[in-house]
Amino acid sequence: MTRENQILTVEVTDSHGSTFSLREVCEHGDCHAEFVIKLVDYGIIDPVEDQAEARQWEFDTEALNRLQKAIRLQRDLKLNLPGLAVSLDLLDEVQDMRREVNRLNQRLRQLMGE
Amino acid sequence: MDFKDYYAVLGVSESASADEIKKAYRKLARKYHPDVSKEENASDKFKDVGEAYEVLKDPEKRAEYDQLRKYGARDDGSFQPPPGWQSASGFSGGGYTEADASQFSEFFEQMFGGRGAGGFAGSGFGGGGFRQSMKMRGDDVHAKRSLSLEEAFHGCEQQVSFIVQEMDDRGRVVPRRKTLKVKIPAGVREGQNIRLKGQGAPGVGGGEPGDLFLEVELAPHPHFTVEGRDIVVTLPVAPWEAALGASVTVPTVGGKVNVKVPKGSTSGRKLRLKGKGLPGKHPGDEIVVLQVAMPEQHSSEAEKLYEQLAELEKNFNPRSKLHV
Repeated sequence: MTRENQILTVEVTDSHGSTFSLREVCEHGDCHAEFVIKLVDYGIIDPVEDQAEARQWEFDTEALNRLQKAIRLQRDLKLNLPGLAVSLDLLDEVQDMRREVNRLNQRLRQLMGE
Repeated sequence: MDFKDYYAVLGVSESASADEIKKAYRKLARKYHPDVSKEENASDKFKDVGEAYEVLKDPEKRAEYDQLRKYGARDDGSFQPPPGWQSASGFSGGGYTEADASQFSEFFEQMFGGRGAGGFAGSGFGGGGFRQSMKMRGDDVHAKRSLSLEEAFHGCEQQVSFIVQEMDDRGRVVPRRKTLKVKIPAGVREGQNIRLKGQGAPGVGGGEPGDLFLEVELAPHPHFTVEGRDIVVTLPVAPWEAALGASVTVPTVGGKVNVKVPKGSTSGRKLRLKGKGLPGKHPGDEIVVLQVAMPEQHSSEAEKLYEQLAELEKNFNPRSKLHV
């Protein structure tokens, strides 16, 4: 049985984007820092600013999403790091192209006055 | 309870070899992985495939399942396990693999005792698997929300509902529906992830709660399209407005504005309205693309004027680019 609870109103306080430290992304991703460092080495995710020391890294929400996606793909499909890098890049490209196609279709419909 | 035909789920025959089963699983796992697939219900299909493989890859479980399949299935597709059924190879006594058994079906649970031994289920697909520590952070929850362009432009309040798993005082994992009213700020973009700190699944044993991430999608608008922070609109103008210049009313998401169409404009000419795009720290612009529109019918007086125009402009070849 599913329990219900009262409705809370919450406000977005970090609409300009929040960042996460290395420790925080590890907590969110339930993974080791070594794994995150490897993903950064392979260019799969990037810290917001290029800092030499991993302790100073900050990641944005996009990088955290990519990390979580990488963890799921690795766990479920047994991808290695180069495989992850290629897959994530291609998935991004597919998503960008889907958006572009939608946008162009929409523009086309508007131009044709449909 | 419905009987689950694991062979059908993997698309293999009852006599399939372990290799064939592995191959079928790998192919379907790639096809239905929720991060890869755009198919509807990909997440459910992925779970079914994982569950089927969990049973069929293990010779002991497969043998038990084959027996059940023979004796337990009824003609109407429903299923009752034989009286006194207990799995010898079951999950209940530990022995979790990397698969997250808490995500499996009721059928699986009845057969192999899936959700045993205090395993804390993750929310969303995949989830967490078996965890040892009793103090842990709650899972993050990811949700998508489609907004109209007006809602994204002005900001809005959206009700978001999702199921989180939490432990009751007796240590059992129970689902709870959590409903939030989220105040979305003005100027969110397509694909942007809004983070609501601490609004995901509750933590266990004093662990911090997870976060809620709300991914914004923009519903198509009949007149406007969005490019990054810019908003594009096609603006029809009369031939004389384009030729002579005119002050015309232009729609923007924030309301109507007056714009001067420069003299001698042609179709496709772009006018940029600074700061009339999506609001934010660096607000976007509205890009107005002119499109010369013709009346559907002309009066005989207008036709005479066109004849004069044709005479005056006879050197103009609109098809010069086509070399004709």
